[in-house]
Amino acid sequence: MSDAKRTDGGATAAPEMPFGLPTWVGGVTPLLLLGVVVAGFLLLNPFAGLETGAAPPDLTVTHTSLPNDETVVLHVTNNGPEPVTVSQVLVNDAYWDFTLYAGGEATDSLGSVESGRIVVPYHWTEGWDIHTAIVLSDGATFSHTIVAPAVSPGLTGELLGLLAVVGLFVGVIPVALGMLWFPVMRRLSRRALHGTLAFAVGVLSFLAFDAGFEAFELAAEMPGAYEGSLLVVLGIAGALLLIQAVSKWQADDASHLRVAYLVALSIGLHNLAEGLAIGSSISLGQVSLGAFLVVGFMVHNVTEGPAVVAPVAEGERPSLWHFGALGLVAGAPVILGGWIGSAAFSPTLGALFLAIGVGAILQVNWEIGRMVHDRGSLGTVTNVLAFLLGLVVMYATDLLVVL
Amino acid sequence: MPDGPRGDDGARKATGNDESGDGPTSAAATRRPAGDRADAAEVTESLTERLVSTVRADAAVSRRAVLGGLGLAGASALGLSGSVSADAEHDETPSPHGASGTVGEYRSADFDPHSFLREFDTGTVTVEDGQRVREFEFAASLREIEIAPGVTFPAWTYNGQVPGPTIRAVEGELIRIRFTNGQRHPHTIHPHVKNVNPRMDGIPQNGPGVLEQGEDFVYEWKAQPAGCHLYHCHSMPLKEHIHRGLYGAMIIDPDPERVRSRPRDYVNYHGPMTDDLRAELVEEAELRNHEYRADEVDELVMVMNGFDTNFDGDNEVYAVNTRAFAYGVADTDAAAGEWTAGETIRPIRIRRDERQRVYLVNAIEFDLINSFHTHSQFFDYYDHGTTLKPTHKTVDTIMQCQAQRGIIELDYGDHQPGLYMFHAHQSEFAELGWMSFFEVQS
Repeated sequence: MSDAKRTDGGATAAPEMPFGLPTWVGGVTPLLLLGVVVAGFLLLNPFAGLETGAAPPDLTVTHTSLPNDETVVLHVTNNGPEPVTVSQVLVNDAYWDFTLYAGGEATDSLGSVESGRIVVPYHWTEGWDIHTAIVLSDGATFSHTIVAPAVSPGLTGELLGLLAVVGLFVGVIPVALGMLWFPVMRRLSRRALHGTLAFAVGVLSFLAFDAGFEAFELAAEMPGAYEGSLLVVLGIAGALLLIQAVSKWQADDASHLRVAYLVALSIGLHNLAEGLAIGSSISLGQVSLGAFLVVGFMVHNVTEGPAVVAPVAEGERPSLWHFGALGLVAGAPVILGGWIGSAAFSPTLGALFLAIGVGAILQVNWEIGRMVHDRGSLGTVTNVLAFLLGLVVMYATDLLVVL
Repeated sequence: MPDGPRGDDGARKATGNDESGDGPTSAAATRRPAGDRADAAEVTESLTERLVSTVRADAAVSRRAVLGGLGLAGASALGLSGSVSADAEHDETPSPHGASGTVGEYRSADFDPHSFLREFDTGTVTVEDGQRVREFEFAASLREIEIAPGVTFPAWTYNGQVPGPTIRAVEGELIRIRFTNGQRHPHTIHPHVKNVNPRMDGIPQNGPGVLEQGEDFVYEWKAQPAGCHLYHCHSMPLKEHIHRGLYGAMIIDPDPERVRSRPRDYVNYHGPMTDDLRAELVEEAELRNHEYRADEVDELVMVMNGFDTNFDGDNEVYAVNTRAFAYGVADTDAAAGEWTAGETIRPIRIRRDERQRVYLVNAIEFDLINSFHTHSQFFDYYDHGTTLKPTHKTVDTIMQCQAQRGIIELDYGDHQPGLYMFHAHQSEFAELGWMSFFEVQS
């Protein structure tokens, strides 16, 4: 790129442009030439001999929904470079009636990277797996099994209310309870406080791994054209860098309250993804939230409370409304995530939210680490063991949560 | 309409009834009467009520009950809210349970299973040194064929069609086939007749072996024994060469004169050969022979086949004569017990005052057996068609392994006009295309 020529920044002796051309012409010229080469390539097609045949069709069933016990809806995306024609649909090894909707109308084909819904009027039985297969015009089949089907609840006020209650129990209340350790933390010695912060970093690191693996798992379900794994990488790096840039922009020195808010934000993003998982599981009819699961979430999330308030444990106590705000920022996204997940779940959305959460956590870990480092020493025995303890506690409580 | 012709629709309805088909879960959700959508709201309401009362009753585990009930409550909430869109979708399909079968009509005219049914290739007859010779031209080629509406399959074909042409000859003749392979893979024709010259067996180990692209060979087979037979390619890998489409029926009509002189060759019977029995056998032979009286019988060729469209060693499409559901009905109104015929998908029309004879050949690959079952009808079955007395008398289901074949003699003279189903009684095959109807006309 032409910018490369100017990496000397403010150097006064900038080299002359060839032929005395203006700099912007030099910047645009390579792009123009690229355009010419691409056009020539498209027109002349010099590599025609390399075309060994059409790419195989690639159709993905991203997810399914079951609006009632007489309808099966397959959400499909064409990942291939060529349009595909959906000729027939098999349900449990039988040809069955169906209609493909794409772009708001009934059709029989999907363009490249186009998504659609295949609506199958089929009277299924709750709990009995539904094996579906989509038969394309060339006989290629793409199958998808709906395990333990149950009616997916539609988006109703009642469901939103219930999800809000679930979010309150799973997100807000445990975080708020965890924050009640604040007075104790105020009385801790600096060494113990740093240990607490290291514990918080351990907690967050565990969440980063947890969410990261989950994001990559979801990415595998994503339509291939979206390059799921790379989208996750982009989400992680993007969130990390954006939050870093924003926090740098606001202030160069890390105010403790700001760090607390960053922790709350990153935990909130993680909890958003958690809510997404809960909401989508319910909307796909895959889970009944038993007491054990909810207790698991609560125990798991209660450790997030001290992580949020640890940065402000030293020094002047922020006013009380800050605590309320921190708790909401960290916990309430579970509710929001639940709503989003139940309304419009897709693996792409899920993976992206998870990745953003991971990026936010990595950034905040770095921030806390720097805070501890600035005020003392990071690698003390206490801190290292507290970090490990954070990981272990999260692992142990994570065993209670299997969604 | 009387009950008889609607038997199958009745059977299908039963799957939506109270007694059958419900899983171990949530009896209330599934126990409502089929098709009665007005009840849905009521049922979901009662579900919600039940949930609430459970929560109240079980205070000790209240949280569990509340949260455990979430899914259920949500489901019932949907039942209430989702009915509008569900109704809209059901405007298109008359049955609330959806309709089985393929969607749409066949689009290409590469093959017409309805005319194939009654097409017999009798070749060109000449006499050489007193021996009747029947000559045929066969060529192997690659062709895209439509096997289900909108679904094509790259088939290897004899004379551009799957199944290949139905060869028809008379017992004692010499069948002479000039075979040219125009396809890139090596092919042969292997006959299922009593062939006494190993050079003519059409296998890689004998005679010319396999024929490469552009090569040709003249096969000569003695037309014996009389019966319903099969020919197919015997190149390796055999599974692929058969299932890609290289097979067809070969019918050898009994010679009434030979039957008169050697009646015991045509019946599995060891009692005295009376004149009456001999005359009966001769008459049956005449009714089988296309140069005598076979035109008095409505003769139908049915080759049971299947297609593995995704190369997983399992058939995605089953059919008689290649096209899934080609002899089915285009639309079924299961709630009213009514049907409509389509352009390409329609029942086989038969007359009740005529006898029907089905030459049935099983060319299925990947599955161990195939079968033929008639609704409301029993038939006589002649395994391999080599006898003139049935090998199975008064049956409504027969099964065949691969390459097994036989003759089915049907009589709908007692039946009221209407629709009579026949299909493979492997439900899987039936639902994947091997489902057909006779439309009996007065």
